[in-house]
Parts: sequence; C-alpha cells; structure tokens
Amino acid sequence: MIKDILQSLSIIAIPLIIAVFVIYAARKKVPVYESFVVGAKGGFDVAIKIIPYLVAMLVAIGIFRASGAMSIFVGALSPLAHLIGMPPEALPMAILRPLSGSGSLGLMTDIMKRYGPDSFIGVLVSTMYGSSETTFYVIAVYFGAVNIYRTRHAVAAGLIADAVGMLGALLICRILFGS
Amino acid sequence: MLNYVWLGLIVIGVLAAAGSDIYDASTNRYRNGEQFELQYDSTSATAAVVSYSKQYYDRFYGVHIEAKDTLSFPATITRNSMQIKLGDTTPELWQTVAKTADDSKEITATVVKRSGNNILILLPVTNLVRTKAVLDAVISYSTMAVEIAIGLIGVMAFWLGMMKLAEDSGLIRIIARMMRPIMTRIFPEIPPDHPAIGAMIMNIAANMLGLSNAATPFGLRAMEELNSLNPQKGTATNAMVTFLAINTAGLTLIPATAIAVRAAIGSKDPTIILLTSFFGAGLATIAGIAAAKILQRLKVYRFDKTSPENPGVAEK
Repeated sequence: MIKDILQSLSIIAIPLIIAVFVIYAARKKVPVYESFVVGAKGGFDVAIKIIPYLVAMLVAIGIFRASGAMSIFVGALSPLAHLIGMPPEALPMAILRPLSGSGSLGLMTDIMKRYGPDSFIGVLVSTMYGSSETTFYVIAVYFGAVNIYRTRHAVAAGLIADAVGMLGALLICRILFGS
Repeated sequence: MLNYVWLGLIVIGVLAAAGSDIYDASTNRYRNGEQFELQYDSTSATAAVVSYSKQYYDRFYGVHIEAKDTLSFPATITRNSMQIKLGDTTPELWQTVAKTADDSKEITATVVKRSGNNILILLPVTNLVRTKAVLDAVISYSTMAVEIAIGLIGVMAFWLGMMKLAEDSGLIRIIARMMRPIMTRIFPEIPPDHPAIGAMIMNIAANMLGLSNAATPFGLRAMEELNSLNPQKGTATNAMVTFLAINTAGLTLIPATAIAVRAAIGSKDPTIILLTSFFGAGLATIAGIAAAKILQRLKVYRFDKTSPENPGVAEK
C-alpha cells in the first residue's frame, strides 16, 4: 500500500509541480513566459561552467578504475569487511559508490545477475546503491557551478556520510534479512 | 583535501597500472610467443568452428576458469591467419587480448601449422594492458565529462525556468517559511528569509521524491544563492559544505534507479529496498550534517576570511 503510493507519487510529482508552479505564478500576475525564459537562460552558463571541474574529477576516477587499483583496495580492506560481516562480493560496491555513478550501477546490476536480486547479497548491494549518492560527482558539479576550488571539509564530510550509509545498509539488511 | 584525493587517484592509478603491466610481462601472463592448439571443423572453405578444452586452456595459461568442458567459437581461416569471433563465453584473458588489439569482437591470430583437425596458432602479442586502458580512460572520461555537462543544458534550463517562476510568484518564500524551524537550525549562518533557503528546500524535496534531474538545477540555484553570501569567493562556506553533505547522502523516499534495475533483472519484490535504503541514507544524512558541523571547527578546515583570493593557493 505504502509502496504503491510512493511509486505513483514519483510519477505524478513532476506534472503536479509544473502545474502548481505555472498556475500559482499566473494567479500572482507574474508574466509566466517571460519569467520562465529569464530563468532558463542560466541553464547554458551553468552547464558550461561545470565542464572543467567535471573533466578533472571524472578523468582522475577513470584512471583509477582503468588501472585495476580497485582490486588493491578491495584486498586491503577485506579483513576489515570480514570483521564487520560484510560479504566480500559487496565490498567493491562500497568503494565504488562515492566515486562513480555509472560504475556502481553496472556493478550492482552485475552482482544481482550473478547472485539473484532477491538473495541477501542482491538486496544488500541495491540497498547500498540507494543509500548514497555519487559524492565526487556532486562535489564537482555543485562547487563547479559557483567556481569553488577550496572545498575545505566537503570531501571528508561527504565520505563520512557515505561510510555511514554503507554501514547502515549492511546493518539494516542483516537485521531484516539475516545472513 | 580534494587536492590530495585527486592526486591520490591519479598517482595510485598510474602506479597500479605500471606495476600490473610489469608483473604481467615478467610472468608472461598472456603467453606471448607461445603456440596455442585448437581443434577445428570446417563449415565451408573459409569458415570453421574452432574449439579447445577447458583443461587445455587452464594448463596453457596457468589459471582456473569457470566454463563448460569445451569452448568453441566461429572463425574464418585463410592460409596464414585466422579471425576468431568472440562471444559471452570467451574467457577473460582472450577478451583482454582482443580489447588490447583494439577490437572487442574478434582476435586475429597467425596460423603456424595445420595437421588434420588440429591447428597451431599464435595469438597477437599482448602487453601494457593496463597502461593502454588508462590512456583510453583519459580520453573517454574527458569526453564523457563534456557530454554529461552538455546533456544537462536542456533539463537545467527547464528547471531553472520553473524555479524562476516559483521565485517571482513568491511560492518559494511560502515553502521556505514552512520549513524555517528546521532550516535555521541546520544553516544558522543563512538569514531565514534568504532565497537560498527556498532553493535548498526545493532541492531536498526533489531528491526525496526521486526527481534527480530536477534536484540538480534546484541545488545549483541554491549554491548560487549561498555563494552570494560568501565573503571569500572560491572558498566553500560552512553552509555550502553542510548542504553538500546532505546531497551526497542522497536521502530519498524512492530509490528509483535501484528499483528499476531490480525489476528488470526479475526480482519478485523490487521495492523491498524502499525501507532499507531510506534507513541507510537517513543515517548517512545525519552523519553528514554532524560531520560537517564538527569538521568546520577544526583548525585545518576553518573558514579563513583573510587568506588571499587567488586560485594558486593550495587548499588544505
């Protein structure tokens, strides 16, 4: 029941938001077309502005992934993963999630195909995917749009959030689905 | 810190690639210069099906693959060379051989000797596998970055237009006022009536509903507003970092992508992860806000209004 409501909510949300925004603006006597166009002009500038930040970030992540360095990290962290009861198959997911959205999506698909989407590992990796965002992409885009290069504690805070998200996913999956 | 992470990704990547290539060369992992024996059945003058046993492959490369006992592939054979078409069952090493020779669908091998149904071939020399992969990644990821950015223009323009409508009509201000008690606590530096608050709420709400392509434009609008309060352009403010921490935690009621993939693979209950990922992302959000609030007081991260404003200065 709740699932159905949530799912239909995500489908009707966009048309609803558009309708409410436009109708409310018209009622308040805002020149809707003019106002929309003035706002939309910013789209191009923002997209162009983030390019250097996105290139810097994605190339570094690309080099890291293509080099096979990931397996070194998985090897180094696997004793730790074993200690907290994380299945070794799910460990690459935890490392890749903050780095690459498309990469972790591919990995999640791969793991679920191999172990089945309803297996413990399948549920765990899809929960991990849903428990976080691609931190480095968000940092590149959001700071890039306003030309911020001194990011202070943003990376640290983002990675702490990711780590807690991954551990939280593991915890709740173990409580609910056991293994 | 981003400087170090960036440096680390590149240096670790390059070193790992070089190390892995040196190791492969020293153990001759791809058996360069060694003859591989295949069985073949002609289907026409030039076409054939070639096969080899799993045991032979394992012994040849010194590996243990998971496969059927006999692996066979369609091939075209001329006098001196042979094109082997690859498929899903192709072992990983052969995939790499093909990929490194710039062709992911077939391997072009040299025919050394034929006798009866047996044929001896030399596979193309394969080396510097990881280094080549890193070079490819540099090109393909930088192209991808531009494609992502350009691809954002349309959606970005649309939602920024919508956002402007909502700002001009005062809708954002109404929404912001409803959420004021929470927002003033999370973002004490931002005046409660500032447009940044409204934009941040719109971003968080869009994320919650799983509308990620609306969330980004709202979020970037919020960053612009937050930057208008920034006394030192180029440096992140406390409010920006807290806002980013909330975004990187990715709290959502509907993890749409993960559910869609689960359904596509044939899960009996694709939405089973609604609750679990809300729990995970909820914890991540709390941890992110807490980390941002605690770390902003540390000396290395403290917001320093007096430091110079040029891009050459290294961030801590």
